[in-house]
Amino acid sequence: MRIAFAALILFMAPPAQAAILNIQQVTSPNGLKAWLVEDHSVPVVSIRFQFKDAGAINDPKDKQGLSQILSNTLDEGAGEMDSKAFQAALNDHSIALSFQSSRDDFGGSIKTLSKYQNEAFDLLALALTKPRFDKDPVARMIDSNLVRIRSSMTDPEWMNARLTNAVIYGDHPYAMNTGGTISSLPRITPDDLRAKFKTQLAQDNLIVAVAGNMSASEVSGMLDKVFGQLPKTSKVQKIEDAVFDDQPSVTLYEQNIPQTIINMVIPGIKHTDPDYHAAEVMDFVLGSSGFGSRLTEEVREKRGLTYGIYSGLSEMNHSSILSIGAATRNEKTDEVIQITKDVMDGMTKANITEKELKDAKSYLIGSVPLQLTSTDRISAILIGLLSDNLPMDYMEQRTKAIEKLNVDDILRVSKRLLEIKNIKIILVGHPQKGDHYKIVSSLPNVE
Amino acid sequence: MMRYRTAFTFVLLAFCFSNPSQAAPEKVYNAESITLSNGMQVVVIPNHRAPVVSHMVWYKVGAADEPQGDGVSGAAHFLEHLMFKGTKAVAPGQFSKIIRGWGGEDNAFTSWDYTAYFQSVSKDKLPNVMALEADRMLNVTLPPKEIASELPVIIEERRMRTDNDPQSLFSEQMRAILFASTNYAVPIIGWRDEMPKLNRDHVLNYYQTWYTPKNAILVVSGDVTMNDVKPLAEKYYGFIPSHDVPDHVRPITPDFPSPTTLKFESDELRQPMFLEAWRAPSYIMDKKEALALDVLMETLSGGSSTELYQSLVVEQKIATDISLSFEGDSRGEGSIWLSAVPAPTVTLEKLQQAIDRKLGELVKSGLSDEAFQKAKTRMIDQELYARDSVMGPAMVVGQGLSYGLTLDDIETRPAQIQAVTLDDANAVLKKYLDPVSPKHLPVIGFMIPKEKAK
Repeated sequence: MRIAFAALILFMAPPAQAAILNIQQVTSPNGLKAWLVEDHSVPVVSIRFQFKDAGAINDPKDKQGLSQILSNTLDEGAGEMDSKAFQAALNDHSIALSFQSSRDDFGGSIKTLSKYQNEAFDLLALALTKPRFDKDPVARMIDSNLVRIRSSMTDPEWMNARLTNAVIYGDHPYAMNTGGTISSLPRITPDDLRAKFKTQLAQDNLIVAVAGNMSASEVSGMLDKVFGQLPKTSKVQKIEDAVFDDQPSVTLYEQNIPQTIINMVIPGIKHTDPDYHAAEVMDFVLGSSGFGSRLTEEVREKRGLTYGIYSGLSEMNHSSILSIGAATRNEKTDEVIQITKDVMDGMTKANITEKELKDAKSYLIGSVPLQLTSTDRISAILIGLLSDNLPMDYMEQRTKAIEKLNVDDILRVSKRLLEIKNIKIILVGHPQKGDHYKIVSSLPNVE
Repeated sequence: MMRYRTAFTFVLLAFCFSNPSQAAPEKVYNAESITLSNGMQVVVIPNHRAPVVSHMVWYKVGAADEPQGDGVSGAAHFLEHLMFKGTKAVAPGQFSKIIRGWGGEDNAFTSWDYTAYFQSVSKDKLPNVMALEADRMLNVTLPPKEIASELPVIIEERRMRTDNDPQSLFSEQMRAILFASTNYAVPIIGWRDEMPKLNRDHVLNYYQTWYTPKNAILVVSGDVTMNDVKPLAEKYYGFIPSHDVPDHVRPITPDFPSPTTLKFESDELRQPMFLEAWRAPSYIMDKKEALALDVLMETLSGGSSTELYQSLVVEQKIATDISLSFEGDSRGEGSIWLSAVPAPTVTLEKLQQAIDRKLGELVKSGLSDEAFQKAKTRMIDQELYARDSVMGPAMVVGQGLSYGLTLDDIETRPAQIQAVTLDDANAVLKKYLDPVSPKHLPVIGFMIPKEKAK
């Protein structure tokens, strides 16, 4: 559920109006490229970058979490500076530096006040060229990830996400736990981190987005300084697309809690598909919009069965899914599932109303400027566009495409996507068990 | 997903409540404020970066103002949900749909001291959202049918946030003991067994008592100026009659003769954890001490290069994580929270001893002046980030005004931070965190995983 929503944000964010977002392409003397949106209204700079395909899909099965530990340790000392010195240099200049690994990509972001930007870029360059991976900080980061996992083991939504990955992805690398497992994390060594760092973070898989108080020439200088010493070419794992089998299933992990966390998953749609924007509208009417959506109306507003029910389209490089998540008191689990199926089915049987279409369009187009209100939100939108290989005028194109949609388009895509007979349902809680439920006794990819 | 009306604690806000540098303009937000003839305060924070506005109405009332001792809790938060259930003019459930249809977003949240409703919309929709918000300040209908269908929703909300998770249940218990016998002991959403008793009278009384213009603050942040907002505020909110509101009762928790230690053993827990909480003055009770406490927290626990983490995690290797924080943004008492995770082979008792020893040493030696000055600089730097958002400043200003700060308190915070001395910080360290004789004895919590019975 978390995963689905996280990806959703990236896809919902990119919308509209090139006039609002003036994107420039910057190319450095050494040929490194970045997208830039200049904004001098506050003395803040935000830079985001990604190394494509260098994410957790590269982690060996017995060392799940390697990418995550790399993201935790790259800022734990570099060059002459040990962990404490490096962290102090960031902290004393109020520089927010972090690295993150998704399944597909390895990324990072830095936000700084303009008055400290030289220090910020020096520190980032150092982290990306001479990280130390000292034994102590590596051990600390592994320990704190083990703590995170053990603490999450009382969180039923987290449990549901673990189970969902295993059910949906089976033997595919996406089934692995990006955050590592209790047995895999202690196997990770500083040498593993060095090897991944040296081979997977390079100029040929790098994308960079910059927003805020910087000129194109400053960005150009920054690119060579920060990224100029990276190796030219990367060596990353190529993986197959995940195949969504058409076997419906209900999988339950029993927990003695008052609610059941429900996740219902069907195949989704890629952003390159001609029907993608129709699917965005469909998803909005179905459940992504919260209030006003059909699911919220039926399950929460009319019947008081849940605090929240949402649908969301999410996409990774090798998979796209549509998932619906909700939590309800245990004894109402079947009812929520049935209503959800009925709502989905209803959307394949009749057109949505003109009012639903109009409201969805207004929101999907009109909410775009709401995303452009801070420097790091703008850089997040830019890196999302770059990561998905979208053109600079994507937001304008998207606006036009959404404006053109009619109710028949939505019905067509509903018929194509909302195939409830293949639905996979993942439950955590204490519901009444059906005969066909597959009960799992331990969570996959946790221990 | 904070997609909609949610219970809210102000822990999240604490960190964005910081301020600008020596070189920055004297005021942090350059907000303008007027008061309408009915007593409603109107604050405008211009920010012309994107053609959007955040429109917020803050009521200076929250869960701590609910009647105490009547066996019912959660009315403040329940009303917040029911504010979306219709007025004479707007049908139940339509409010958010209308906003969505304008391409906007809306939500609401309730805390112990305040309740806020907000919409983010393109600026041409500002009059429209004002009309809707003003309407429900005056005309909420609270239909019994809607109350009946919404009550199970907030009970599901409580299950999801608290009852599903033993860690949340334990935090709730610690807080209840820490603030024993006062309004802050009761969870915002209400006690599990008291929520089902909520009825229309509880929410209606609360609404009629507290929701009135002179107890509300309008905050508009974004691509507008006071010249734009003033006539609109007068038109939509200015005509609503005000009535007096009762005083806010915020009792002080009594000091008990012995420290409290809670040991929570459960086979559902997998990670041992140590928690410790002390009562402390809030900004409203003692501004000088509250400021010194904020700087103290930043000095000792503002990132992994600071004293507590370096000593207990890096050097002694006795903890895997440790953090210390101060909650001072409240009308009544504040609190200090310490949480620590033991290193793999370390017992919670040994961890507690190490923490006490460290705090004892710090009380004796005082803070390092260098670490203290750096902490102040970081806090002042943070203020330059504060304007890098439309919603953020509206949150900070609205929250502060709601629990009782003045606009000047909020705007001049950098200078106030600058004025905190090392002696001030050492004094509050000794007064509140001395392990031998703290001003208020702590509540200590051990979370202990138990082997699962097979």
